[in-house]
Amino acid sequence: MDPRSQDIDLQQESGAKFHRGSALSIFKSDRREDWMALLCALAIVIGVYFTVG
Amino acid sequence: MVYTQRSPALLVMGVIMLAIGASVSLGLQDGVIKYLGIGKMVSEMTSLSFVFGTIAVVVGLWHLFGRHVEGNLDYYLSTVAGATFILLIAMLIRWYVAPQVAVWSKALGPVMGDKYLHDVLGLNYVVLGILAGILVVNVFKVPRWAENGVRLSRLGLKTGVVLLGVLYSAAELRQLGGLSIVMIGFFVLGSVGLTLWMGARRNIPNSMGGVLSAGMGVCGVSAAVASAPVVQAKSVEIAYTIGTILLWGVGCMFLFPVIGHLLHMGPVQFGAWAGTGILNSAQVAGAALAFQPGGIETLKVAEIFNITRVLILPIIVVWLAVWYVKREEGAPGVNVGRVVFEKFPIFVIGFLLMFALSSTGVFAPAEHYKGKYFDNDIKGEKLLTPQQLTTLESELGKVQREDQKAALDRLIQGRKLMSPDDDDVLRGLVNANVLSKDANSILKDAHKAVRHTAKKITAFRHWITWLFAFGLTGLGMQITIASIRQAGGEPLVIGGVVGTAKAVLSLIVVLLFVRETI
Repeated sequence: MDPRSQDIDLQQESGAKFHRGSALSIFKSDRREDWMALLCALAIVIGVYFTVG
Repeated sequence: MVYTQRSPALLVMGVIMLAIGASVSLGLQDGVIKYLGIGKMVSEMTSLSFVFGTIAVVVGLWHLFGRHVEGNLDYYLSTVAGATFILLIAMLIRWYVAPQVAVWSKALGPVMGDKYLHDVLGLNYVVLGILAGILVVNVFKVPRWAENGVRLSRLGLKTGVVLLGVLYSAAELRQLGGLSIVMIGFFVLGSVGLTLWMGARRNIPNSMGGVLSAGMGVCGVSAAVASAPVVQAKSVEIAYTIGTILLWGVGCMFLFPVIGHLLHMGPVQFGAWAGTGILNSAQVAGAALAFQPGGIETLKVAEIFNITRVLILPIIVVWLAVWYVKREEGAPGVNVGRVVFEKFPIFVIGFLLMFALSSTGVFAPAEHYKGKYFDNDIKGEKLLTPQQLTTLESELGKVQREDQKAALDRLIQGRKLMSPDDDDVLRGLVNANVLSKDANSILKDAHKAVRHTAKKITAFRHWITWLFAFGLTGLGMQITIASIRQAGGEPLVIGGVVGTAKAVLSLIVVLLFVRETI
């Protein structure tokens, strides 16, 4: 895990351990999560553009 | 490691969602819907419940009876349980809890202008969602089967922030007055800079300083949410920022109108001050209406300043992105340009891309703001009828102000509102309650006929609403009591100092430089 990544209390306190992703994300890096957010947003934009109004 | 828990929870949640959808579509909840005043939500109550209920039932059956082995399928499908858990709570908050709070609040009557207690305290689905999440994690604990999916909440927030760009347009920025741009530019950038400086002096984490600066500088929840991933803010830091903004705003909303009257400020002066010094949009409107209950001149000026502030958000997000990377990686010998390129959040570029797309007019006329725009090229049946014109003509004598009389005259001649300015002037006339109930009703109809909301932007707003509801409820589930103690009271102190400095300095600037024209 990236040492600067947010070490989240939830993980430490509840004892939950994830061997993939980080404490706040299921993706292996923030940048990959950004790309996924961008892809999701683009999918919504395309969907709305062609189906609404 | 196998992530999927063999639990009936997802299946049960799916059945609950389907039951909500079915009961709404069969009319079994008509009484509740009427009592809560949520008739506008019926469509989403059925569609979302059926879509996500079906997904939850299908995947829930797989969780319960499937054969799970380590791998991508297990890893990603296991997140559906946690995501559904958050979504179900968000649904219950948005459809039942928040409207019930609004019903109780309205029963108490308006407390500030035409604003009710829940408006003043910001008790909407966003804040209630965060509180519900905090309650879940601290009282009941996040169930083991939901832990993996709760980590999807930040993806929801980032997607919502990218889409947020479509609500704004550069054309709107061009239409704003020069004074509002100069004043807001100075105070927004000044507040952000002061918060970052104080944060560094008092040794709070860069992530806390970054998200607090956006909240104190720009406004409200959107700014905090948009900047949080940029500075890798912890959940508790976002919650702290939102709490600071709302608490500060409540105090300002009651204090500003009193000071405004004591100093004999005019509507333009007070609007400029409220729009600069108060942080939350609803609270700005509340203070403006409390200052001038009989007209909307103050509200209009405050809205202009508020819009200007929100439109500076993209600049702040980019500034914070560069600042954070430099602070975190700024050791001697580091190539800052390269680090910024490598670490700059891609979703911010998405936000700017959407802002640029929206400014071209691809989703709504380019002059829109949050999808709303003026267009008086309307069909014949929307024009005022001869009977309505007679009613208005008979009441012309009651109007004393020349600008209102002229606007009303133009409305009667044209049978429709002729310009956005006339629309604003006549909204003030309605607010002042000079005319009869019938005449005011006709003016409201005339207003509705020329003010349009782009359907595409409305659809985007629905998406953003749900992505934020999902993301913030999940965010609440990551805020434990221990993490609140760990954050300490420092952010509240910094927020108070910066907020006071901004309010006092903007008051001085307004009194010195703002006259009753803009």
